[in-house]
Amino acid sequence: MLVIGERINASNRSVGEAIARKDSELVANLAKAQAEAGADYIDVNAGASKGSGHSEMDAIEWLVEVVQTATDKPLAIDSESPDVIEAALRKYRGEKVMINSVTAEKSRLDSIGPLAARHQARLVALSMGEDGIPDTAEKRLAACEIIMTHLIKLGMPAEHVFFDPLVLPISVDPSQGLVTLKTLEQIKSRYPAAKTVMGLSNISFGLPERKLINRNFLVMAAYAGLDAAILDPLDAKMMSLTRVADMLTGKDPMCRGYLRAHRSGRIVG
Amino acid sequence: MTEEIISLIRENVVQGRVTRDDEGMDEGMVGQPGVTELIEEALASGMGLSDIISKGLTEGMTIVGQKFEAEEYFIPDMLASAEAVGAAMEMLEPHLTRSGIKSKGKIVVATVKGDLHDIGKNIVTILLRGAGYIVKDLGNDIEPQAIVEAVREEKPEFLGLSALLTSTMVNMGDTIKALTESGLRDEVKIIIGGAPVSEEFAGSIGADGYGADGFQALAVVESLSSGTAGSK
Repeated sequence: MLVIGERINASNRSVGEAIARKDSELVANLAKAQAEAGADYIDVNAGASKGSGHSEMDAIEWLVEVVQTATDKPLAIDSESPDVIEAALRKYRGEKVMINSVTAEKSRLDSIGPLAARHQARLVALSMGEDGIPDTAEKRLAACEIIMTHLIKLGMPAEHVFFDPLVLPISVDPSQGLVTLKTLEQIKSRYPAAKTVMGLSNISFGLPERKLINRNFLVMAAYAGLDAAILDPLDAKMMSLTRVADMLTGKDPMCRGYLRAHRSGRIVG
Repeated sequence: MTEEIISLIRENVVQGRVTRDDEGMDEGMVGQPGVTELIEEALASGMGLSDIISKGLTEGMTIVGQKFEAEEYFIPDMLASAEAVGAAMEMLEPHLTRSGIKSKGKIVVATVKGDLHDIGKNIVTILLRGAGYIVKDLGNDIEPQAIVEAVREEKPEFLGLSALLTSTMVNMGDTIKALTESGLRDEVKIIIGGAPVSEEFAGSIGADGYGADGFQALAVVESLSSGTAGSK
């Protein structure tokens, strides 16, 4: 399971404040800690800065510089704006990069698609189009088809496409757990070379003991075909579950990864 | 007998039971009349409807609100209770005008441009309908101009705006500006809600009120309503 560390997000209050006062130590430490905990990519999101008087572009450039100085792990550039993504990519010195995200909306495909292709970036592709978040697996797959057709035309390898099956809260619609899991299965079946990714916290919105729900959703999703997860690497239980999930789905020969993690004290129940 | 029906209606709102086949929050209630059967009985008896609404439905939702604040009830519980209120209101609506009960007013609600979050807005909508308001829900990701047009066409007493992202809450300000430019700002009372907004933000963009959750939104609308009595 690929882990994309989600902590460096401007909508989190302490990170937002750190960006505002240019506290590079806080951000650098957060990047290092996530890397140390086993994150494969470090996501950087400066989006919430819009309200604070700092432009998202300035903020993302600053974040990219601080994070790439602190760690060698590749970055995931998280923004809705192609201009912001481009600014971040110009600042970024690493070879491998992920862009988060594109949708089937024409304007986003046309602007972010070529950007991702040009930089040989991995690209998170949300299974939605012009009409908002679809509530069925069929409609989400339809969005994936539009996206895949477009990206293949741009010369992007399928392996670089990370489809996000989208997650809506079960507290509002009890079918949504299965909708996401079915979407994952169908994406893997239709596009075997492509990857899948998702965030874990939406599923439990509005319910008590959210972490319990999020953790178990991760493991179920691994069986349904989840390749990557956007989560908090500093949550030791959650990170342990990525190991368990890999092992239970046959992705950890001789259970070596699990046992190595156990020996270094990282497996927490 | 009247008091008993009203109290049972209130209890079944709190339990989130639409029909006799529903479970409630508590166990062992299947088989007992739900809101649907009780409203049928109330209508058949010819009793006054305004007490059913205020003491049965609205008071029931107030209790639900308190349980939600106390973290005893969660979103699914609130939705079940709201469904019970919605079912009751649907049955009562045809009889309201006959009884001389008018709606308390009309509210247009929308999640602003760029934002797809609607759970909060949907909860507010249900609570307002349950309290006797007519609600026109425009949906999500709504342009300021579309909201202006809706206000022009629907002539509501209130406009409710929702946003869940700090990057989209600015569009609340744009929407209010667009209303001012169209000369419609004084025709509506505007309330806002959503995780990143606040009382302070509401003041800064010139909104009339702010609600931290659905129940507060309802309270703000009710208090602003009594301030505008007689104006429409």
